[in-house]
Amino acid sequence: MTSVQVGIPAAVLKPKKVRRRLDMTLWEKLYVAEIVRGLVVTSKHFFINMIGFIFPPAGKKRKIFTVYYPEEKLTLPPAYRGRPVLVADAQGKEKCVACGLCEKMCPAHAISIVAAEKAPGERYPERYTLDLGRCVYCGYCEEVCPKEAIVMSDEYQGLAQRERSRLVFQKEQLLRPESKVKARLSYVRRIYSKWNY
Amino acid sequence: MAADLIESVAKILFIFAVNVGVFAPILGWVERKQSAVMQDRIGANRADILGFTAIGLFHSLADAIKLLTKEDFVPANANKFFHTLAPFISLVPAIAAFAIVPFGGRYELFGHEVHLVIADLDVGILYVFALAGLATYGTVLAGWSSRSNWSLLGGLRASAQMLSYEVAMGLSIIGLIMVYGTLKLTEIGAIQEDFFRWGIFLQPLGFIIFMTCAIAENKRIPFDIPEAESELVAGYFTEYSGMKFVMFWMAEFLEMVTISAVVTTLFFGAWHIPFVTDAMLLSWFQFAGPNGAAALAMLVNIAVFFTKVSFFIWLQMTIRWTLPRFRYDQVMRMCWKMLLPLSLINLSITGLVVLLL
Repeated sequence: MTSVQVGIPAAVLKPKKVRRRLDMTLWEKLYVAEIVRGLVVTSKHFFINMIGFIFPPAGKKRKIFTVYYPEEKLTLPPAYRGRPVLVADAQGKEKCVACGLCEKMCPAHAISIVAAEKAPGERYPERYTLDLGRCVYCGYCEEVCPKEAIVMSDEYQGLAQRERSRLVFQKEQLLRPESKVKARLSYVRRIYSKWNY
Repeated sequence: MAADLIESVAKILFIFAVNVGVFAPILGWVERKQSAVMQDRIGANRADILGFTAIGLFHSLADAIKLLTKEDFVPANANKFFHTLAPFISLVPAIAAFAIVPFGGRYELFGHEVHLVIADLDVGILYVFALAGLATYGTVLAGWSSRSNWSLLGGLRASAQMLSYEVAMGLSIIGLIMVYGTLKLTEIGAIQEDFFRWGIFLQPLGFIIFMTCAIAENKRIPFDIPEAESELVAGYFTEYSGMKFVMFWMAEFLEMVTISAVVTTLFFGAWHIPFVTDAMLLSWFQFAGPNGAAALAMLVNIAVFFTKVSFFIWLQMTIRWTLPRFRYDQVMRMCWKMLLPLSLINLSITGLVVLLL
């Protein structure tokens, strides 16, 4: 057993100096200097940003990081849990073997599987229904799946609908080629390998 | 006679167009955009005409169309007459106060003396204070006539705040009037042809007090207790909608323009560029002939004046988006215990200096 040092050792820590006197000093009570200080801070931001607006710096470097949403989209990190999708194999068929673990695990009862057999002893989901109106995006289905057949993708659009029935996704709508969810799959392998399942 | 009439009408139309046509709609946009830029945001930029957004300028247009077509709602039990009258009493002084502000010098144009001020009153600055006092009625009437608790509280606070700050505001100006020896704004402007006679050098304390009081009179954020979004919904204009709401909104922005114009005239050399006199301007533009020179000099005056006004509008906006709001008791304490004694001290020192020199 090796012990791992976490955080800063206590001997190195120094008490932070805190100003205990909360009364304002005379200089602060005069307000004007402090107001000018505040104005300088905000005007500095104003002028730097104005220059940035008038002469936008080349490339992606910019001061204001607000994303112009419909025109610009973020590339989401692999840790992002979006809509769960089914992974397809090279033939475009689902990897799922309809074991029913995800259906059992799902805390919101969003998944329902109708299993069937292709050949004796070879199961596949005849119908795989995912109700995204119920899904809580916990990722348990992905965690429990023994075949890496269902993963959380980075898809977040199209989830605002006027009818709940439109949020019920069938197997065909959920199938994604493996290349599309590669980043998430490697992330999942790395993160879940930490625990001894 | 006819020339005088044409001159007056032209000046009134010009000021009206600048205030209502340019400043009022543009300032709504400036308020949003400047706050956004100051806070590292982008700000309004979604309204577009055929995909052309003009950096969000069309939001003013969209606002205008929306508010003009909105239902004009009068609450039950409200005093309908005063409820309708109040926004007018708020808006009219804000525009009318501009009448005495000189935005340029005195020039000879086609043998007719053009004076770039609508009304050159002898009482000058007192007229501004009188109209500021009148604007209080608009606020108080709006608060009282709406029959709403929020409005009434807002109106009460407005009356207390505006009356208090008028005292300090009046006293802060008297020092300046003693130095210049005149109430006429045109004469005050003409005296400031000399850069070292600008009000800011003669009365720095007076400037700070006047600016503070003026922002308080306008009920903008550090002093927004009559509106108090966080306490009173919208204060005295809670019950207003549509066109009447726009009038309060415009009154606020136009008061801001008026304050900037008065501050420019009193403290920042009115229409003058530092170290440049009107005679020098005329001599520089001699190439255009006497009439052309006068016209060009007038244009320069107007441009300089409105540049200064724009700067003070920017300053007021910056103050509004920088400072947190005061509590009600802090506002009153600041007025009666700090600004009023300070302005009295300023007044006595100025009096002593004027007497001794």
